[in-house]
Amino acid sequence: MTVLDYVYTATFAMLALGVLCALVRLVRGPSVLDRIVCLNTVSVLLVSVVAVEVAARGDTAYVGLMVSLALLGFVATLTAARFAERRAHDRD
Amino acid sequence: MSAVGDRDHRTTYRRLLGRLPTVVWLTVMWALLWGDLSPGTLLAGAGVASLCYAAARLPHLPVRLRVRPLYVTRLAARIGWDLLWSSLQVAFRILWRPAEVRGAIVAVPMRTDSDLLLAMVTAGLSLVTGSLVIELNREQGVVYVHGIPIDSPRAAQNLRRRVRHTEELFVRAFGTAEDVARFEAAEEEFAELLRASPAPGGGHVGKEGA
Amino acid sequence: MTATDWITAVLMPAGALFTLIGTIGLVRLPTLLGRLHAAAKPDTVGLLLILVGAAFQLPNISAAAPLLLVALFQFTTIPVLAQTLGRVTYSRGESSAERMVVDELADAVRHAERDGDDETLGDPPGTDAPGRQYGQRQQRPRAQ
Repeated sequence: MTVLDYVYTATFAMLALGVLCALVRLVRGPSVLDRIVCLNTVSVLLVSVVAVEVAARGDTAYVGLMVSLALLGFVATLTAARFAERRAHDRD
Repeated sequence: MSAVGDRDHRTTYRRLLGRLPTVVWLTVMWALLWGDLSPGTLLAGAGVASLCYAAARLPHLPVRLRVRPLYVTRLAARIGWDLLWSSLQVAFRILWRPAEVRGAIVAVPMRTDSDLLLAMVTAGLSLVTGSLVIELNREQGVVYVHGIPIDSPRAAQNLRRRVRHTEELFVRAFGTAEDVARFEAAEEEFAELLRASPAPGGGHVGKEGA
Repeated sequence: MTATDWITAVLMPAGALFTLIGTIGLVRLPTLLGRLHAAAKPDTVGLLLILVGAAFQLPNISAAAPLLLVALFQFTTIPVLAQTLGRVTYSRGESSAERMVVDELADAVRHAERDGDDETLGDPPGTDAPGRQYGQRQQRPRAQ
């Protein structure tokens, strides 16, 4: 293994720990907004993971995946947030 | 009759011209996404871009900006520095006694009245770690910014000062001559008000407690 | 190890560390708005560092250009998301006022409700004394 392989392993490990932390908050809640924020964080972390993968392989076949993941995460978070707002209004 | 037709013709022409930058921009994105610059890609990109633009029926906002490179550089440096420095600050507070972290929402009257500049300022503020625009009162031109970590009224004053500085840089970097003149007039008026009724704590509108 | 390898070796773990600290904040910070800050922004900085690190491993510039697109996209979406989530948090009343040094939005809302019409927040800018009434209102005593 070269130094860069260790670097990639360390980066992957830290990102995985990050996903784990986000999942802890996802389970604990308490608010629905916490969960929305967590899901967005996980989607950003996924994009980061794919970026590391792209670097490790030196090939850009996954870049489209990154863009669509980022797009999906953004639209999903925005929709969920709007939905949470609407529901709060309905309750009043 | 012919004059009317001529005018119609010209507005159509102008509308198309106004849409051109957006279409060019979308085409560039398309080329970036495909990763090549061959004429076929560009043509397909332009086609898809115009089709999407026509289908979305976006409202046409008049974009009136003047770019001043010197201030744009200063603004970029400022935002980059803020992003890094406040990220470090927040990271430090996350590791050191996170349970005691407190925030604040401060009201900052904006001195510019241009929709486009206000949108840019709020986006710039929300991009930086540790500040977040909660609400924008358009009629009075007041933004409500949430900041973190803020432990004292002095830190809140600092946040206020940072918001005002960011606003000034945005206006000077992108505002038209008219925008800058209005900004300076508003600035002058604020200074006048503060001289008339000296407020404690650094002289900004909106104070902590009485 | 070439110079570009070293750049990657420094930037990538740094970015991952930023992201990790942000998510730790997501678990440990006490308020929803605080967690929102911690989740959104350090992640973006981390992703940016990782993207730059990855770009140095790619064979040429045209291969790295799409990474620029991802970074650009992240930078345009983060303010939108942060602002929307912040507004929804506040409007749902989950902003934990007891953990704030000042909350001038609550003051403004209170005054607007008490005075009962839309004249209450002061003159709009451009009239004689912009912010005048606003400043006076803020100076009224408040329960501490």
